Amino acid sequence: MMTPNLKSKKILIVEDYPVMRKAIEQMLYTLNAQQIVTTDTGLGAISEMKKAKFDIVLCDYNLGTGKNGQQVLEEAKYHKLLPFNAVFIMITAEQNQGMVLGAMDNKPDEYLTKPFNAQQLFSRLQRNFVRKLYLVSVEREIDKGNFALATHNCEKLLRQNDPNMRLPLLKLRGELALNTGDLKTAQSVYQEVLQQRDLPWARLGLGIIAFHQNDYELAIATFQDLIGLYPMMLEAYDWLAKAHEAADDPQEALETVNLALDLSPSAILRQKKLAALADKTENLELAEKAYKTAVKLGKNSVHKSPSDYSGLARIYVKTNAPHEALQTLEELHQQFANEPEAELRAAIIETEVFQKLGDDTLALQAFDKARQLNEQFGKNTPEDLRLELVKTCFMQGDHSTSEKIIADLVRNNIDDPHFIDDINKICTGFNHNAFSENLIQRTRQEVVTINNRGVSLFKQGKVKEALEVFENAFSKMPNNKTIILNMAKIIVYDIKANGSSVEKMLNAKVVIKKAIQLGVAYNKIAPLQQELASLANDHADRRPALAPE
Amino acid sequence: MQETDPQTINFPGILASSVHDMKNSLSTLMTLIARLEKMYPDAKPPEFRQLQFEANRMNNSLVQLLILYKIESSRFSLSIDAHPAQDIIHDIMTQQSALLSLSPVRLLNECPADLMCYCDNALISSAIGTIVNNAHRYCREKILLSAAQKDDHVVFCVEDDGAGYPDQFVSAEAGASIPFEPGTGSTGLGLYFAATLAQMHTNGAQRGFTKIDNNSRFGGARFSLYLP
Repeated sequence: MMTPNLKSKKILIVEDYPVMRKAIEQMLYTLNAQQIVTTDTGLGAISEMKKAKFDIVLCDYNLGTGKNGQQVLEEAKYHKLLPFNAVFIMITAEQNQGMVLGAMDNKPDEYLTKPFNAQQLFSRLQRNFVRKLYLVSVEREIDKGNFALATHNCEKLLRQNDPNMRLPLLKLRGELALNTGDLKTAQSVYQEVLQQRDLPWARLGLGIIAFHQNDYELAIATFQDLIGLYPMMLEAYDWLAKAHEAADDPQEALETVNLALDLSPSAILRQKKLAALADKTENLELAEKAYKTAVKLGKNSVHKSPSDYSGLARIYVKTNAPHEALQTLEELHQQFANEPEAELRAAIIETEVFQKLGDDTLALQAFDKARQLNEQFGKNTPEDLRLELVKTCFMQGDHSTSEKIIADLVRNNIDDPHFIDDINKICTGFNHNAFSENLIQRTRQEVVTINNRGVSLFKQGKVKEALEVFENAFSKMPNNKTIILNMAKIIVYDIKANGSSVEKMLNAKVVIKKAIQLGVAYNKIAPLQQELASLANDHADRRPALAPE
Repeated sequence: MQETDPQTINFPGILASSVHDMKNSLSTLMTLIARLEKMYPDAKPPEFRQLQFEANRMNNSLVQLLILYKIESSRFSLSIDAHPAQDIIHDIMTQQSALLSLSPVRLLNECPADLMCYCDNALISSAIGTIVNNAHRYCREKILLSAAQKDDHVVFCVEDDGAGYPDQFVSAEAGASIPFEPGTGSTGLGLYFAATLAQMHTNGAQRGFTKIDNNSRFGGARFSLYLP
């Protein structure tokens, strides 16, 4: 065993129980640690992590009132407070607690069960550091969002044939393939693993592939099998719910989320999902309960959001409880003072509540506020909120504002059939479908025309002109996914055909990043990223030959 | 505040929070023992060894009771992945390190570096750790903890140089209820837990199992846990 030496490591201990905190500190001193910071609350942990980058975080799950360990980890990851090679160890009271606590993307590196001694602690730290060092070339690139290079490095490690690392590497390789939409590779990785051994993560992977191939029947069967074998595997529940929802069965999705919540009631994202599904299926009683829980859990969570409050208020409007609705909105104001999205959400519902209460003056006042907020911040608010406002404007007889927002939404979402469908439904509800259908058709035509013109210019070899066409369209429809994707394609093909330059590479990266931000499907973006990475690599690989060191 | 209605008492909740509480107490206790220990020069009083041993025992029993309760109420599943057998052995060794430093007993280990096994590593090391802890009481001077590939199974063995298991233990079927003997300090919980856990590990039609006999290389008791 190596001599314990944590001298160079910056360590944060998060533990509310003074004796335990002292004990862990003592253990670390016996391991030669010198840079130890301690805190007794989750809030304290976050503020320490904002002040300094830690190499090791030892965090108790159970921190009394306030944030728990899981919420600390979620917030740290969300705000990127942890360096990618830091080790986060969650200290729990029970063995086997990990599966229940772990949210999909927010797993600690290790769970350590109380009580433990210094040797155990050091051994876990050591093992994690060795693993992280081994995987550094992959995890560093994942952290940077460069999946193509991460994949390249992962395959390099796989070729070294270390029997102890083969499965962890294959697991990582599968995840990378899934993340980049390379379903074929993902499938062969998981099948290779399953031939050797029936491992739950490989089965889950196959289910996720089926999901992405829109084979919901197979996906559902796969996730159900897994849950049968591993009833505490919450990731399988999350995916099963997603698959039911995609298969247009919100009721089944709701029941799945409910089962998962029964096993792990404090998962806020699942509570939100339950609320949304209950709302959608008109299960108002359950929706009220779920929104309330989400609001409560949100108080200590980075996932706290105004839409939980407005969702709850809307349920109260539906159940004819205007006073509860107003009270909830009051809380919304308090919790999110001066946040435009929160205020807009509140104003929209206030309009409706006052209308219901028969107070036209206050209703108009709230509606004016909503319109004013929309004027100022509308374009930066979530689209579900903009749709809400469309409805309110229709109800208030302000068709021109409705039409303006719809025009904007249609232009930006013309390639999203579900969203376009939602717009049509709302317009139909207000006998305005002639307007929306006409608009949708015109916009589709416009995109097709632009696209054809750009593609035809490109085919004639007029790359610069083709790019101009798309750039022009992009300035008019900055959120349109088809246009940004075509722009990215042309830039990458141009580099491939006509050679690379620093400027072209940079431009390609900017456009691809924007496309990812807009939510262009990863399987459409990934091939371009891979192409770009191999172009960059060719460039890099050639260099040593020209100038050997 | 709600009134406490005995009919709606949430037993799993009480159990879980009590275990959490007891574990905090145990952690405190172990810290205090360690602090006291430092006040003594070497050749520490033998009571320390006893304290450490009993604290381990209490902790193991708490863990096992809680897991068995969860299995019983279907709120449990294994978390299976591939692990180097060496890591599991190492986890058990470090878990025992405080006790070993106070004890004349030597804990030896033997494991091929590239041996992989498929299991819930936290629970398997907890189950085997309990057996090792018990072996401290019955061995004379050494315990061997080993892992090896045997046909389709990876076998973890705990062998000691003591007097061996009593006859009625050895004749009991693997996994069958081990005789409970009040007053002897043996409830059979550790063996029952290990057998239950081993059986939950499957690979196709194969299941894990445990075996006890007196075929230790040192002439004492041998416990074997087979993982498929």
